Parts: sequence; C-alpha cells; structure tokens
Amino acid sequence: MPSNPLPANLSRLGGCTLTGALSVTSHIHDTVTIIHGPKGCSHHNASLLHAICLDDDRMVMPSLISTALGESEIIFGGEEALRTAIRHAAGQNIRALFVLSTCIVDTIGDDTCAVCAEEYGIPVIPIPTAGFLGGSFQDGMNNALIALAGIAEPCPANGGINLIGEMNLEYEVRENSAEISRLLSLLGLSVNLHFVHDTTFSQLSLLGAARLNILRSPSLIPVGEYLRNRFGTPFIPSFPHGLSDTLAFLEQVADSCGIDGSTAVSSEKSRQDEMFVMGSGLNRLPVVLDRSHTGDEDLRAAGELAARLGITVDSDGNGLCLPVGSAIGTAGTRRMLHRWRRMIHA
Amino acid sequence: MPECDNPLWPCAMTGAASCLAGFDGITVVIHGSSGCYYYPTTLLHAPLEGTFILEKEIIFGSEDRLREVIGNLSGSGKSIAVITTCVPAILGEDIRSLLEDQDVLLVDSPGFSGDIETGYRKALAMLAPSVDPATPGVNIDGVCLFDPFYSGNVLETKRLCAMASVPVGTIFSKDLLERVHHAAAYTLGTNEDFASGVGQSLGGMLGFDQIRSSFTRIDGVIEGSDCGPVFAELDAQEERVVQACDKFLHRYDPPSAAIFAGCSYARFAAETLERYLDAEICCIGTRNVVGESTRPMIEATSLSEVQDLIKSHKPDLVVGSSFERSVYGNAAFVGIIPPLRGKVRLYPTPLAGINGTLSFVEQVLNACIDRMP
Repeated sequence: MPSNPLPANLSRLGGCTLTGALSVTSHIHDTVTIIHGPKGCSHHNASLLHAICLDDDRMVMPSLISTALGESEIIFGGEEALRTAIRHAAGQNIRALFVLSTCIVDTIGDDTCAVCAEEYGIPVIPIPTAGFLGGSFQDGMNNALIALAGIAEPCPANGGINLIGEMNLEYEVRENSAEISRLLSLLGLSVNLHFVHDTTFSQLSLLGAARLNILRSPSLIPVGEYLRNRFGTPFIPSFPHGLSDTLAFLEQVADSCGIDGSTAVSSEKSRQDEMFVMGSGLNRLPVVLDRSHTGDEDLRAAGELAARLGITVDSDGNGLCLPVGSAIGTAGTRRMLHRWRRMIHA
Repeated sequence: MPECDNPLWPCAMTGAASCLAGFDGITVVIHGSSGCYYYPTTLLHAPLEGTFILEKEIIFGSEDRLREVIGNLSGSGKSIAVITTCVPAILGEDIRSLLEDQDVLLVDSPGFSGDIETGYRKALAMLAPSVDPATPGVNIDGVCLFDPFYSGNVLETKRLCAMASVPVGTIFSKDLLERVHHAAAYTLGTNEDFASGVGQSLGGMLGFDQIRSSFTRIDGVIEGSDCGPVFAELDAQEERVVQACDKFLHRYDPPSAAIFAGCSYARFAAETLERYLDAEICCIGTRNVVGESTRPMIEATSLSEVQDLIKSHKPDLVVGSSFERSVYGNAAFVGIIPPLRGKVRLYPTPLAGINGTLSFVEQVLNACIDRMP
C-alpha cells in the first residue's frame, strides 16, 4: 500500500460503517444480512470476509444478500428492491434478518427502517450504517452492537462475564479471546457471552445475565454505557495490553466481582517472570519500535516489555525495527517477544 | 430474482481503477469515501489516491475537497484521473466544469453503473487510445491489474514475440501513459474480457490453437517476423501435454469439470480440458455477461448460484476462484480467477501463451491425481 500523505484529517480514514456493522452481524449464525445498495458494496465485504474465513478454518462464510441496486433504482428509489430481498430471505430457514444500508441509499432517501418495520414473519432488524455517511468503521460496529442489545431482554444473573466487541476481522481474534478466558479462569470466572463472536441468535438473550462486561477497546464505551443503562451491568473499558496492565486487569475484575484476586495476580506474575528467560541476551542492540498500524496501548506494552528486558529503544529512530503486535494479556506479549527474537536472530 | 447473495465480482469503480492504475504517468484519485478507496487499493496492489470525503462534503458539496486533493497532487508531472464513486456521481455537482482548467481526466464510473469490465472499458475509452502507424509490431491486450495472471501473461507474450522477432507495441493496460497514443496497428489478446479494441486483432494467446492461429496471422502481416521458432516450440510443448494427459488417462477416467470464470478464461479452460483430457464439461458459470460460445454457459455471479451448480453436477474438478474452493466439496480445484486467497503466489504464472497452457494442464493433472484415492 502506498504511503499516501493525504488526508491531514485522520477522521477521513475511519473506514466504512457498513464493514464495521458486518463484522458483527456476520458472526451471528442462523441469520442473514441484507446489504441495501449496489452489488459492489456487498462484493467488497464478501471478499474481505472470505479472506478472513480462509485464515480461520472454523468460520463459515456468512450469507450476505445484496439488493443489487442499479441505475434505475438509484433514480426511482430502492425500497421495493429491499422489500423483495427481505421477503426472499425471510423464506429461508433463519432466525432473524439484519438490514444494513449503504451511503448511496441514504443519499437517495430510501426509508429503510419503514420497510423493515413491515411484517415478514421473522425479526427484521435495521442497523444504521450508511457507509461513510453513518460515520466510521467503529461507528458501524457500535451501532450493530447497540441494535442487537436493544432486542435482548433483561434476564436472571448467572455470574458470568460478557466479552463485548471482539474484533472479528483481527487475525488473532480467537487467541485474544482465549487469553481473556484464561485470565478469568484464574479468578474462577467464566465467559457468559461473546457479544458478538461466533454466536447464535438465541444466545443473544443471555446478554443481560452477566455480572460484568469487558470491552475489547475504549472505543466501545458507548456500547458499555448502553448496556449499563439497559441491564445495570458495569464494564471494564478494555482488554489488557502488556504485562503490568494484565496484572491490573486481574485486580480490576476481582474488585468488580467482589472476589479476592491476590492468588490469581501472584500466579500470573510468576508466569510473566518465566517468560523473561526467553528474552535474555536480546539487549545487545539498540532497537526502534515499529509504530505503523499500531495503537497507543500496544506501543506502551511494547515499551514496557523492552524496558523489562533491558533493550534500548533508540529515540532517534536508529536500530533494528521491532514489530509491535496486539499484546493482549501475557500470551499476546509473549507472541510479540517471539517475533522480536525472530527479528533479532534473523 | 434481482437480489444477489455474496456477489462475486467487483464493481465498475474498481474496474476503472484497475485500468488507469496500470499506466505509469497517471495518478488515480478515487473520489469517494475511505471505504470505497480501501478495496481497490488492497485488491490491485497499485498506488491510488483518494478524496476520503465525509458527510459534510455530501451536504455542502465535495468540490472544495476535490480541488484540495488535486492541488496537493499537481506538480508531480503526472496526469491526474478522477474516478467518481456512487454518492458523488449522483450529487449533481458539475465536476467536469470544475476540472476544466486542469489537466485532469474525469471517469464517471460509479459502482452501480455495472461490473468491473464496464468500468475498465469506460476508463480506457476516456484515455482515447490510438494507433500510431510509426509504431512497429503488436500490442498486448487484455492486461488488467485485477487478473492474477496479468503479469505472467505479459512476460509470456513478450517472450513469444521475441522468439518471432516481433516488437511489442503498447500493453493495454500496463504501460507508460504516453504509449496509449502510439499503439501498434496490430494486437494480440491475452484476455478478451478486457479487450481494448485498439488495432487490428490478430487473435488471442489462450491455448495452443489460438496461439498457432495468431502467429500464422503475424507471419502474414508483420514484416521481418519469423514465427518458425514459435511453431516449433508449440509442437514440442503440445506433444508434452498430450503425453502427460495420455498417461493420466491410462490410469484414470477423465474428470467432469465445473468451470467458473470470465467468458474468455472459461472458454480456454473448457477447450483445453476437452481436447487434452477428454473431460466432460458439466457446467460453465461466467462472472460476466455470457459471450459467444459453442458450449452452454450461464451467468453465475453469486455464491449460492455457484454452490447450486456444484451441488447439482457433482464435478470431479472445479476451476474457478477461492470462492469456488470454499464450496467445492471433495472435487479437485484449480484457481484461474480472482480472488485466489489462501494460497501463496509469488511467481508470475501465466494463463496465456505456451507456458500458460502448460501451467494450467500441470495444475489440473496434479489436482486430479492428488484427489484420487
């Protein structure tokens, strides 16, 4: 990909709302997502999800239906095409339909919500997306999660924990999920619901049963607040990044659940200390941390790891460039250390 | 039904970008949102620019933003081409007037106006390619960045032209921009789905028959050409294909094949499989509008149509993309159209030319043999 100097305004790079919403709805089995717009928008996303499926052989290619708007519908309106597509999809053996609009549909003024409100025999859930007119990728993801939360009813508590907004397009999404589950198990806790990752439509009814919601990242705080208002469930704003953050995360979860986390923290600290044996002898060269495509949290985690290993990070940008990955928990930090060892030894 | 599940083919905007981005000397700007920009950028592996418009520009007009981006890009010595995406195309802004005083080409190719071939043709037409009688040799045609075989096709066609002492004119569309207006009078096609229509066609490069016919015509019209070495290699390599396929048929039944591709590649695959393996072509699903063919073809542009065809015909061999591979069941698989995901591809493998047929038959035989118990 070229190094494109434009644009200065980073909000322009936020990606497509539609893709963000699809990253959620495509992970709900026994449902179909209709994309109301030209075929190209659906193809772009089908192609992306296809690539993700090939990276994750447990994932099944989701069913996306495009209303396939052409010039005629753009001129005369696409509501009838949407109605036809919903009727067709509703006749399949599915539990619910999600309808995602595109930027062209919102520009021509189709009333997507009104068409979805008609009777089709199964729930038809419109999700505000509208491509870039609806905001960014993250807005699409948040809108989808909030729309889904809106259809779940309050239910009895079961003591479990919800993981909210896992990044389903992330290469290591399952590994990150497994790491959080492992950390929770140290505290004697288990996951109630992955909201939403590899989930059935009926499982969504468990959303309100959790004692705590753990958000994948702070950008999901609007979703956390919505869930707290709807179900009274408190939330932790992010998965932990790096070593000390992981220990702090254990303490935070323990505090939120009113349990003693000292044994879990001690056990995890021992695990982290064992990891440093791998890092011995890496401190001979000055290094720089690769800041491209990297969030602040992961950079902090990488900086902490380098400091603990005695590796000198050259502030002038001279030295071996080390990759900064998604350092979720101790396991994510260890994977990053393996990549550093490979770089240093290569 | 008008709707389409899991559409398998890109839109006209991507087609326009895949044509223009192939020319060195032109900066391509996608006038639309970041969502529309990311897909062709990742698909084509070519440098593209974008206006990354936001909601406010839809409400108050995108002209200032477009002017800002073009202003930043001008001065590089390259021409600028602006491709409109769906929303800017219907805003009613007079972008053409806005760009009138600048050296900017406007390609109105929104996604809803058609598929990739539509956009490709529209963009190439906007470049107004023309023949220069002073340019010797033949043009290479049907080269599209979207095609995973484009690079191999160019190298292989150049190799065969060199063997025949035939100079290569313009490569549509992977060349210097200035050569668009200095095309040779004759053209060899590597993929008719992306034909330029420039110059007199001497035929295609898909399959030994096409190559033989095309070089026979070259012999007749290109002064100084000597196609003897090409014919000699054709005979020798065809013999190798015949022997390899004959050996396969000694031991195994011919495969029944389901083929999914653009018309041009689908025809090539069907002809090759029939001729050398006596294969039964149980169905051909085309991604684009069905063109001329002696075999029955139907348009199959959604994953469910592909899945239904594979389920109903139960082929031994599926030829297509990694979409087909995801639903092919127990059949052998060979990829000839994008996307070809889940597989590392580094070498510029051709589908056109002598080596293209060798490569295709080799993959088919290996895939079929690997599938046998």
